[in-house]
Amino acid sequence: MLKLLATFKKDLLLLWRDRVGLLVLFLMPLVLVLVVSLVQNNVLQATGQSRIEVLFVDEDQGELGWQVLEVMEASPGLQLLTSHAGNILSAETAQALVASGTYQFAIVLPSGISAQFERDMRRQVGALFGFGSVPADSVAVEAQIQLLFDPAVQGVFRTAVTSSLQYALLGLETAQKGKLLQQALSTQNFGGAHSPDAASEQAPTHLLRTEAKAAGDPARALRPDAVQQNIPAWALFGMFFIAVPLAGALLRERQEGTLRRLLILPVPYRVLLAGKLSAYVSVCLLQFGLMLLAGRYVLPWFGTPVLEVGAHPLAVAVLVFCAALAACGYGLMLGTLARSYEQASMFGAVSVVIGAALGGVMVPVYMMPEAMQVLSSISPLAWGLNGFVELFVRGGGLRDIGGNIAALLGFFGVTALIALGAFKYHSRHGG
Amino acid sequence: MQPMLRARDLTLRYPGASKPALAGLSLSVEQGEIFGLLGPNGAGKSTAIGVMCTLLTADTGEVEICALNLRTQKNKVRPLIGLVPQDIALYPSLSVRENLSYFGTLYGLKGNDLRQRVDECLVMTGLEQHAWRRVQTCSGGIKRRANLAAGIVHRPELLFLDEPTVGIDAQSRHLILSNLQELQRAGMTMIYTTHYMEEAQQLCARIAIMDQGQVIAQGEPEILMAAQGCSDLQELFLHLTGRSLRD
Repeated sequence: MLKLLATFKKDLLLLWRDRVGLLVLFLMPLVLVLVVSLVQNNVLQATGQSRIEVLFVDEDQGELGWQVLEVMEASPGLQLLTSHAGNILSAETAQALVASGTYQFAIVLPSGISAQFERDMRRQVGALFGFGSVPADSVAVEAQIQLLFDPAVQGVFRTAVTSSLQYALLGLETAQKGKLLQQALSTQNFGGAHSPDAASEQAPTHLLRTEAKAAGDPARALRPDAVQQNIPAWALFGMFFIAVPLAGALLRERQEGTLRRLLILPVPYRVLLAGKLSAYVSVCLLQFGLMLLAGRYVLPWFGTPVLEVGAHPLAVAVLVFCAALAACGYGLMLGTLARSYEQASMFGAVSVVIGAALGGVMVPVYMMPEAMQVLSSISPLAWGLNGFVELFVRGGGLRDIGGNIAALLGFFGVTALIALGAFKYHSRHGG
Repeated sequence: MQPMLRARDLTLRYPGASKPALAGLSLSVEQGEIFGLLGPNGAGKSTAIGVMCTLLTADTGEVEICALNLRTQKNKVRPLIGLVPQDIALYPSLSVRENLSYFGTLYGLKGNDLRQRVDECLVMTGLEQHAWRRVQTCSGGIKRRANLAAGIVHRPELLFLDEPTVGIDAQSRHLILSNLQELQRAGMTMIYTTHYMEEAQQLCARIAIMDQGQVIAQGEPEILMAAQGCSDLQELFLHLTGRSLRD
């Protein structure tokens, strides 16, 4: 035990004195968590909570422009701007501002669109009741409402703004048709409770309303925001980077000859390895703990929600420990299979990024193509991440993450066995 | 009297190698002597040291240390032996004292015994003033002396030294050779490999010259030189191993 503790202490001291390594182990994941959580928090706000600024140019100055402006401004995700730098926007200015990326969207109502809209409505309603036809010239030249967008804008935002505009126009069209229909009905003396004036005062309302809420047990579920989802995910990602310094430490011992000295000691190598593993697992636990503290106390300074650990801190601790073992097992394997530090650091870093991408740390697994979703199931980061989602978002407990724990422990067992086999192979070959 | 080390007919071929690294190596080292193991590059010296200090297992042949068989009693042999590898086998970011304390602990020393033994090793190798310096900041000579100190911190009966004076100045080399003679006087047995023939001539009571995995000459340097009509060990070495380059 004394020998294991001596190795534990020695490896912690080595890590402590490697300031660059410490930066990689602690500061980088912290920065990663901060940046990604803040960025994604903004993205989530942009897609749901904060308002996207949209330029609005009304060259028509008719009834329709006011109506579009009113309906679209009522949309919680959009803010319409009719002027820029103190000047009323023209179509040319709006186009230039969007093309340069200053703004991402502009809606332009061309001159004559209100009159055309009115005529078209009357024509359609008139056709229904056989009131006769509309003059041909009004149909020949069709003015269109333009939605200009910055080509750099991602599809999801484009779709959101386009849908908002179409929804608003559809609402206006429906309301207008309703008004005209009522006028037509009253002139045909069908009677009725509503006068045209009363109908025109009615704003389009939703008869079928929708409500968005998280599925699952509301008593258990935690807030599904960027902080709850990102911090465990990116902390796990950072944790797996322990594989690089651990592999490096093993390689240095091999290359600098310290291993030769260690191997003739009257101490089984597994004891030395256990000491080393304990030191690196402790670092992982500390690293994850710091990430959680950052989520709880640092990120809220930047306007994000406070991280909630949920009702099962023991389950979190067990999962973090198993993930740390898996990450360190991977480092052991890397350190015994690689022939140089460059190999270990390059392959280690890239493979962790690939594992994270496959595991759903960067893009949710449900958004991946089917083949990638299948591949995702072999990533240890996916096992860890699914466990953390269960605990941090769905409010699950130890029983819910049993499979994830078993998979991570299995991964540790397999990688440790491969490391031991590779170590024996090197010893036999005099390496 | 039982020799400190006896190796008989050791053979070892690395997997995939065309020639064996050891091809029937036999040698005997008496208690308390400094035994020189000499040979050109690739002669098999490091492999022989590797087998004798339990790092490698020979394909055939036997090694006994203090009458203990290496194959069957490895764990009893290990506390009795020490190794000073050719590389500076220390942790660069730990201080000299921290390195010695770590290796001492792994040999079972603790508390006051450990501190006292580390102090003794530091004094012996002239490193008291550098005890708290990190190895990475030390000069080549200090590193070599620290490397020696780490090999003797547990007072081994038999010490393997693999070119312990490579790349250091005359002063540090002189101190190391003096240290080794002091250790010999204290009763420690040493197996010493070097390419510096004058060192071997100065230190070793007996030598073995190896080539192609075998011992081609073994005995006292003076007797071997006289038998071959050579004036010094360098001449004897070249006479026995040839003048062609070994790359």
